[in-house]
Amino acid sequence: MKDFDLLAILLNPEFGGMLVHGVVLTLVIAIGSWLLAMTLALVLLTLRLTPSKLLQHTVAAYVSYHRNVPTLVQLMLWYFGISSLFPDSVQGWLSEHGGEALFSILALGLCQAAYFSEDLRSGLRSIPDGQAEAARALGHGFVSSMRHVLMPQAVRNAVPALVNHSVSLFKNSSLAMAIGVAELTHAVKEIESQSFRAFESYAVATVLYLVISLLIMACGAWLGKRYRIAEAK
Amino acid sequence: MPFILDLYTILHDNWLLLLIGSYPNGPLGGIVCTLILSVVGIGLAFPLSVLMAMARLSPWRLLRWPATALVYVVRGVPLLMVILWVYFLVPVLIGRNVSGFTTMLCTLVIYEGAYLSEVVRAGIQALPRGQMEAARALGHSHLGAMWSVILPQALYNMLPSMLSQFVSTIKETTLGYVINVQELTFAANQINNQLLTKPFHVFFILAVSYFVVCWSLTQLTQWLERRIASKRRGIAPKPSTKARAASVTLESPT
Amino acid sequence: MITFSNVNKWYGDYRALTDINAEVKKGEVVVVCGPSGSGKSTLIRTVNRLEEIKSGQLLFDGHDIQAPMSSYQLNQLRSRIGFVFQSFNLFPHLSVLENIMLSPMKVRGIRRADAKTRAMELLERVGLSAKASAYPAQLSGGQQQRVAIARALAMEPPAMLFDEPTSALDPEMVGEVLAVMRGLAKDGMTMMCVTHEMNFAREVADRVWFMDAGCILETAAPETFFRSPQHPRAQRFLSDLRSH
Repeated sequence: MKDFDLLAILLNPEFGGMLVHGVVLTLVIAIGSWLLAMTLALVLLTLRLTPSKLLQHTVAAYVSYHRNVPTLVQLMLWYFGISSLFPDSVQGWLSEHGGEALFSILALGLCQAAYFSEDLRSGLRSIPDGQAEAARALGHGFVSSMRHVLMPQAVRNAVPALVNHSVSLFKNSSLAMAIGVAELTHAVKEIESQSFRAFESYAVATVLYLVISLLIMACGAWLGKRYRIAEAK
Repeated sequence: MPFILDLYTILHDNWLLLLIGSYPNGPLGGIVCTLILSVVGIGLAFPLSVLMAMARLSPWRLLRWPATALVYVVRGVPLLMVILWVYFLVPVLIGRNVSGFTTMLCTLVIYEGAYLSEVVRAGIQALPRGQMEAARALGHSHLGAMWSVILPQALYNMLPSMLSQFVSTIKETTLGYVINVQELTFAANQINNQLLTKPFHVFFILAVSYFVVCWSLTQLTQWLERRIASKRRGIAPKPSTKARAASVTLESPT
Repeated sequence: MITFSNVNKWYGDYRALTDINAEVKKGEVVVVCGPSGSGKSTLIRTVNRLEEIKSGQLLFDGHDIQAPMSSYQLNQLRSRIGFVFQSFNLFPHLSVLENIMLSPMKVRGIRRADAKTRAMELLERVGLSAKASAYPAQLSGGQQQRVAIARALAMEPPAMLFDEPTSALDPEMVGEVLAVMRGLAKDGMTMMCVTHEMNFAREVADRVWFMDAGCILETAAPETFFRSPQHPRAQRFLSDLRSH
């Protein structure tokens, strides 16, 4: 490969700035949507556990929609489609105050909430029936059984799936590029088109993504081990 | 309801574009392009994934490490980055430029190859050890045992998961939009750029189209899962060596 | 036929097999018994190298199992050692007939028609010719194990190894499998069986090996062993068995 010069990218103040800005935006989108997704997933799960058939079907429909429609299309539907339904003043405000990023967080968060709620649901289903019965026999009400006995176990069971989907969530932040958000992938593409150093710029982004993804996976492994040790006691 | 009327009008005017793109005045596009891309992509990814799964389970480090590394890299990097890499590297390797379609195809083969290999690996590891032992005890070589005994069972058990991955592949084709592959999402954006006044309707149609295709396939997957579970429910010998091929759903939500 | 000379196996500090010296002569039926964890399964699995030994020598039909050989030679050697597993391990994706035909065709290169004829003969011999096109999932445990025996016999081994063949079966099915094994012994097959079925040992075995903690503590003719065991551990084992 002709003159591989990593430093030309990293030390160049303009490119360096774009990279940092890109990483920051990627993290903002990832963390923002993760928090939204987790919170919403818990809400969805709770709704699904109520005896109301209507609520159960609504949640099932929500999950089905978000799992069968591609994330990019969901993002486009929000940013191009739904935003056009807002009154002009709101649209104006949004486009001045980083509306693209907001819509990205919204769309990605809503999408992942479906996956997270299914993971938690599987985690809940894999708890032996005896657990709930024992909790009730000891006098816990529904809420108390959930809070102290069932949900902690459900979360522990769901950790591997949750970690996998968290990594997916993080990777999906790159989709925001399609609606013009200057996150990491967008930054790197810009750098490449300006410097013509595709290999170096892509390599930087790849390493950054890999490091963070592996960190998330390592977190998951650590969590898994911690729970196993607690169980062994 | 004016909304439904608008939807009908848009569909009526543009159904051909959504179906096959600007063919014959351009490359084959629309939903047909999406499906061709997905089918060929996963079709080529499949043999690659079997090889990679076997490499990951191989006792030789020379095979195991590169395969494991590739899987981890693909799992840790966004699909868009892989697209950018392929877009850049393939012309360098071949010596001439390639179309967006080819780039997208190569990307899907690599990306899905890695994800599918995890599914195959899970399927192989879920079989009871006794199967490989019995085959080896009868004198089959490792590869012979894989071919006659292990893979037929593992792949059959993992059919639902593989079908899930196919659904994921369909969803992943949407990223071809970013490199101007004329698939369904691209077609929808074309329509939107012409109409300009009804973005919600256009993208609503787009979402519904994908929903119909993916949802139907998911239903098929669930039916298949039930069928396989009932077929495999045999008489398990007392020391419970049940072969529960855990249905690994590695849907990458793209 | 099978000779163990100073065979040892250990993992770290744990000794799985200690100084095993024993021989199964041609045409002999040897039953290996002992409490769980005594190493009997490990011992029988070393013969076809499903478990590896750390020191000592193992001869099968004159061949040194441990000698360096190509994987092809090892596979061919394995195919000559009949092995029947506790959990049958039939191939669920193949019919009963295909299970028996597979290995002669793929490992020995026998023609399909010949393999089929031989397979039907063997099914006849174990009393299951009516089930030729059934799948393992449709058979009872006893039937599956009989198919497993037929599958091993299809390779025409000079000796058969049985690793607790009836331990995973419901009691009413144990008899049908033991009947097949009795038939094999009567036909002069060299057999090494790990089993808890003491009546079978009494009636069919030429010798009994009693194992505990990785060592063969006593070898004797079945009548002698069951009537007057010498080693205190053997005495304890037999009295535990009888007190059921």
